[in-house]
Amino acid sequence: VKTALLLLLALAGSAGAADELRLPPITRTTLENGLRILVAEYHELPLVEFHLVIGAGAAQDPPGQEGVAALTADTLTRGTRQLSAEALARAIESLGGRLDATAGVDATIVAGEFLAKDLAAGVDLLRQVVREPAFARDEVRRAREEQAAGIVAALEQPSAVAEKCYAAFLYGNHPYGRPVDGRSTTVPHLDRGDVSDFYHRWYRPNDAILVVVGDAGAADVTARFREAFGSWEGRADAVPAPLPAPAPLTTRRILLVDQPSATQTQIRTGNVAIKRSDPDYLPATVANTVLGGGFTSRLIEELRVKRSLTYSAWSAFAARRAGGDFRLGTFTKSPTSAETLALALDVEGDFRIHPPDGKALAKAKAYLRGQFPLKVESPDALAARIAEMEFHGLPQDELVTYRSRVAAVTAADVARMANEHMPAPDTMAIVVVGKASEIREQLEARFGPIETIPAAACENLGTPAKR
Amino acid sequence: VPRRLVLLLAAVLAALPRVALALDLPVAARTLKNGLRVLVQEDHSAPVVSSYIFFRSGSRNERRGATGIAHLFEHMMFNGGKKFGPGVFDDLIEGNGGSTNGYTSRDLTAYLNNFPREALPIVLDLESDRMAHLAITPQNLEQERGIVMEERRLRIDNQISGLMNEALYLHAYVQSPYRWNTVGFMSDLQRITLAEARAYFESSYAPNNAVLVLAGDVDAPAAFALVERYFGRIPSHAPPPPVDASEPPQDGERRVTVEKTAELPALLMGYHGVRAVDPDRPALDVVERLLAGGESARLQLDLVREHELATEVDANNAWGIDPELFYVYAQARPGKTAAALEARIDAVVARLGAAPIDEAELRKAKNQLQSELLRGLKTVGGKANQIGYLEVVLGDYRALAGLEAAWEAVTAADVQRVVRQYLVPSQRTVVVLDPQPAPEAAR
Repeated sequence: VKTALLLLLALAGSAGAADELRLPPITRTTLENGLRILVAEYHELPLVEFHLVIGAGAAQDPPGQEGVAALTADTLTRGTRQLSAEALARAIESLGGRLDATAGVDATIVAGEFLAKDLAAGVDLLRQVVREPAFARDEVRRAREEQAAGIVAALEQPSAVAEKCYAAFLYGNHPYGRPVDGRSTTVPHLDRGDVSDFYHRWYRPNDAILVVVGDAGAADVTARFREAFGSWEGRADAVPAPLPAPAPLTTRRILLVDQPSATQTQIRTGNVAIKRSDPDYLPATVANTVLGGGFTSRLIEELRVKRSLTYSAWSAFAARRAGGDFRLGTFTKSPTSAETLALALDVEGDFRIHPPDGKALAKAKAYLRGQFPLKVESPDALAARIAEMEFHGLPQDELVTYRSRVAAVTAADVARMANEHMPAPDTMAIVVVGKASEIREQLEARFGPIETIPAAACENLGTPAKR
Repeated sequence: VPRRLVLLLAAVLAALPRVALALDLPVAARTLKNGLRVLVQEDHSAPVVSSYIFFRSGSRNERRGATGIAHLFEHMMFNGGKKFGPGVFDDLIEGNGGSTNGYTSRDLTAYLNNFPREALPIVLDLESDRMAHLAITPQNLEQERGIVMEERRLRIDNQISGLMNEALYLHAYVQSPYRWNTVGFMSDLQRITLAEARAYFESSYAPNNAVLVLAGDVDAPAAFALVERYFGRIPSHAPPPPVDASEPPQDGERRVTVEKTAELPALLMGYHGVRAVDPDRPALDVVERLLAGGESARLQLDLVREHELATEVDANNAWGIDPELFYVYAQARPGKTAAALEARIDAVVARLGAAPIDEAELRKAKNQLQSELLRGLKTVGGKANQIGYLEVVLGDYRALAGLEAAWEAVTAADVQRVVRQYLVPSQRTVVVLDPQPAPEAAR
């Protein structure tokens, strides 16, 4: 105990100098219509990054229209009042720029990157895409068919299948269990009216955040965006009602997803845990780093280094607006599927009983503190972190204080995080994706009877009829 | 000397201005007496450093029967030397706030660390210990053998695009060691011996076969002194034997069918291309962007938009020390066939060779290449990687300054010429994925 304490003190002592990370100041402006604009100057490279967050995503898909948030985002960049889909793509790509809209569960992000000298053109293209999308009937049809084909194509990716099945199996009919790209039964029926309705309801300034990081003056950038977005009309009901918190499982549930030609088994397991704005998120991240972050975690040590069962193993708090989950993932050859799953659960369970000693904790903290400047090094990464901070209502000094807050996490904090936020192994949702005819027996011998479904059926796990 | 990346912007053309004219990334270079090449790029914008050590050995330096050894060895390098025992490398890097990784390609093996500047001495201490004294033990080999076999299952055996890529190179090349995938054949991974691992270390892991790059918050003279202190006494070895990359001429198209459980047909076509240093490489880079550089590129417009055949298309003019492939990939939509994809790709390529493209389209492709180069330099890790890669594959890190000019010099006539010269059916290998139904339904 004494040596551990001394080590901690030594690290804390050296922390002072290293904490002097200079981040560019953030200039905040709120327009009359509610649009929040956050600008950070970055002059290392002649680039400007835009990160517009619309506070609605797949969680706002109306029942029966699952996939419409994704389809709206995709169609957004397929033509404006002035530019056809082709002309718009050509305009962006001719500048060597990028402009994409992507729906998530809680939000939709329209992200752009242009050379600093093309700032004016970039602002105008973003304005057109966000405020004047054409949603031409034929473009909606194309996007819809591509989205439907994408759902089929994703069935060929074992890890994508595992992620999708895990979310649906854990969250059930909570919106967080919903596949963002929709269901094969809903997407083919989405039309221009659905897309237009979703857009007019949710793409409004009063719940939107615009982050700009780049090689341009903050005052100039703010003025340009005020001009481009100042007359964008708000709408009182564009702010989604808070989602109910997802309910954690209280008993173990296990699902086998059959991929008859697989020689490797993908494993995902977890349970509902904290939301992103929970003050415990940071100490929970520190605890998780010891269990399943980095290259020296307990999971890597036990599954990879000691036994060569896998190439990778990890755990994470996937924390969202209304809730989130703690999850653990790995993969292994078919014959060692049950052994690997059981071991992963044991390592996690043991971690809850034996949280890290001073040395492992000090290493995790040093790792998180040391890597932080690298996480905000590029302008797009910095823009994403600022947007995350604002979207989740985190303190405005979130990034500046990150390293000193990590330094302040104690062994007692970590023990509490492990106990309160990492689920007991016998309460987790477990999804195993692999060759059922080869792995079912070994899994049932350890875990009891297991329901088996084909990969294509995962999208229906969360429909109310099923549960 | 400017200590940030400086872009000298070109005079603005009226309709479609060019992105940039010259890229100046100041690098200080030394070569130690033992042959270790050291390149330092000072960037004081954040208190972080990235170190990359490149060994001029990858899977092209392997022989049949021991494929995958370069990559297997990359794994073994993390498991202890003389001064630092097993498990210490990762522990010390992370305990000092750093992260560490490695990667292997056909041409090279790279070891990278991204860390706070204070950790530079310990990083160099760790790196020099494993370069000089890696512990090549049965335990080390057996541990990584199993892990690498899982990596192969992940990237090739259970990943259809990986499987198709492996099939393409195996059939496009007959003799060149480029033919096998860097991860190696499963049977070779099973049988590689400790003696082979020792011999590989002996031939490849020497200072005279390596390039050390530091980018970030370092002072170049101080960095050179530290490198000299940690690496200066490592003896040089006889250089690895030269690689015979000669390839018999290809007399006609080769076709391969991959039958595998899958949802959608797909097509991967590889044409014999050029070395990265070849004067035609920049024109083929431009062709790559013209064909698949975004939504407005020719293959996207034709296969995805106009004919609605593909879920996705891609093109890649791969860079290599030896002649590489220029390949085109497309995945069919439900109900569409690989034959239909192939017919449209052929039509698009033929059209590109039939008539010179207009200036605006050429400008767009060049602007994309130039802005992508810039994007790759956003981080200290990106800079270190780019500098070392160019030193190893193009033979000189200073090639960076010439990349833009070389693209800039490509004309519409060059585009037409290289399409006609390289993208011809007799010089290609066509891999068709024929999706098979699942062997049994889920119960």
